Amino acid sequence: MPIIEVCELQKQYFLPDDKSQKFFAVNGVSLSIEQGEVFGILGPNGAGKTTILEMIEGLNDIDGGEALIDGISVSTNPYQVKERIGVQLQANEYFDNVSLEELLSLFGTLYHRTINPEALLEKVQLEEKAKAKPAALSGGQKQRFSIACALVNEPKILFLDEPTTGLDPQAKRNLWNLIQRLNGDGMTIVLTTHNMEEAEELCDRIAIMDHGKIIAEGTPQELILDFAPEPHEAPLHGNLEDVFLSLTGYGLRE
Amino acid sequence: MIFTPLQRHLTSIFLKIFLRDRRSIFFSLFFPVIFMTVFSLASDREQEPINIGIANLSSNEVSSDFVQRLSDSPMFNAVSGESEPLREALLVGHQTMVLELPADFGASPDTVSSEINVVVDAAQVSQLGLIMPVLEQTLLSIEREFRSIAPMFSITIEDVQARSQRYIDFLLPGLMALTLMNLSIAGSGFNVVEYRRKGILKRLFVTPIEPKDFIIAIVFARLTIVLVQLTVLISLAVVLLDIRIIGNFFAYYFVVILGTVVFLCLGFSLGSLAKTQETIGALGNIVIMPQIFLSGVFYPIESMPEWVQPLAHLLPLSFVSTGMREIANAGAALTEIIPSLLGIAVWLTISFLAATRLFLWKEVAN
Repeated sequence: MPIIEVCELQKQYFLPDDKSQKFFAVNGVSLSIEQGEVFGILGPNGAGKTTILEMIEGLNDIDGGEALIDGISVSTNPYQVKERIGVQLQANEYFDNVSLEELLSLFGTLYHRTINPEALLEKVQLEEKAKAKPAALSGGQKQRFSIACALVNEPKILFLDEPTTGLDPQAKRNLWNLIQRLNGDGMTIVLTTHNMEEAEELCDRIAIMDHGKIIAEGTPQELILDFAPEPHEAPLHGNLEDVFLSLTGYGLRE
Repeated sequence: MIFTPLQRHLTSIFLKIFLRDRRSIFFSLFFPVIFMTVFSLASDREQEPINIGIANLSSNEVSSDFVQRLSDSPMFNAVSGESEPLREALLVGHQTMVLELPADFGASPDTVSSEINVVVDAAQVSQLGLIMPVLEQTLLSIEREFRSIAPMFSITIEDVQARSQRYIDFLLPGLMALTLMNLSIAGSGFNVVEYRRKGILKRLFVTPIEPKDFIIAIVFARLTIVLVQLTVLISLAVVLLDIRIIGNFFAYYFVVILGTVVFLCLGFSLGSLAKTQETIGALGNIVIMPQIFLSGVFYPIESMPEWVQPLAHLLPLSFVSTGMREIANAGAALTEIIPSLLGIAVWLTISFLAATRLFLWKEVAN
């Protein structure tokens, strides 16, 4: 049985320009994600990726359809679902003037758990920053700390909303390694991204969304086979210098 | 145990956040202290002598003696001179008033009563109503001395208050009420907006925390902070300004605590309505400003225009400051300030309902 089962999910918002009209931010999306998968949701800005995640996470009301997490309905038992999932949001700011270890132990308490902040920080390679404040972290460190916060309840499923947006290549690869390690330990991971390289590198399966609907779904290989344009038969190569040299020869002239 | 471990932990985090923010601690105490100092200096100042010009048109002994007595009076700073230059001095504000003694002044004191002309510039003398009785009083007593008439009676003012009231004594409870209102509304309202803007509320809502846990924690943390701040201010007032609080301290703090919770809830409501820091700033001012002027903080509500009074009496800050003042200055017991307590209770209900109704997690978080 899939660990996430989403059926005909709908979300309507008022049009920003005309409050009397509504539009579908999410329009009948169905997904089925297996335990242990890394599942990527791709799509241009405004396609509805974040809205879908927020509905599955219980952050946003579900207007139509159903979402089951580990067999539990999000709309009827949101608190049980929250116990089972870890979430990293796009915005990753925290209270000012509170250190990383204090924040982690607070998040532990929010799940009624006593946790070991050092162990979690070690997991995301931030053990030296235990006493630091979030404001003092770099972009990549902030993202890793967000993931540490999402891990305090030892979730079955981890949701990551654009985890590598704005990171430099080193930080990005470092985060990919972390995601792969977590997945290697058996965690199901659902992420959104704009980075195709990331999707190809990390994801077992991908759904591409636009205008609130899924327009393609499959493994990266399947999607490439089905949708990538055919290459030109004999691609142009070489430049004008090659032409010149082949016409006039390589011999030195006086 | 009233509080769950979760609520206690969150409360302690909110307290830590505040204690580590040195700048806002400084500013939360700085302005009330400045206020207190300025007002206490202003209220300690003696009444300045009134500048008075005297144009003596009569030249007999009686009139010059009269001028001499007026000059000797501590109430006046008298200058003699010609009528015209004195009137000009009055117009430019060098004199507060000019007395013109007529030529027949004192010529036949027993038969003719002569008329002293008092020239004032009403535009400049805002306290004319205060000065005229003083002037008349002084003139009358000079006349009595003059005619050697023993006064029929003298007046001794006996204060029914245990001790004399200075303006600062009147002001301090109101100032404390004002301070607790500002700290509370800022403490809940501004923070809620800030936490939402940064996405912190949303992040909290991902966890199984319930809205009531968040509200209880922030109210309890802020209440603790406001109580400590007010205690510091009151201690400063007692030590530096020689303020005495006559009534029971527990009664005083009881009103303080109720008032703080009222304004914390109001702040929460505003924070839920406002989407940005600018809006919460504007909404905060709409709630705070009228109360600063209408709630009897700086002067009694009774001194305001008749038609404002019924409205002014109904403001939450009026109930809180009146209650605090009656305890601090008149030594009232809680049973004696039941009207204020009832008013606070009504506002507590209104603001609590507004806060819990308006503070919807999902809308607040997004």
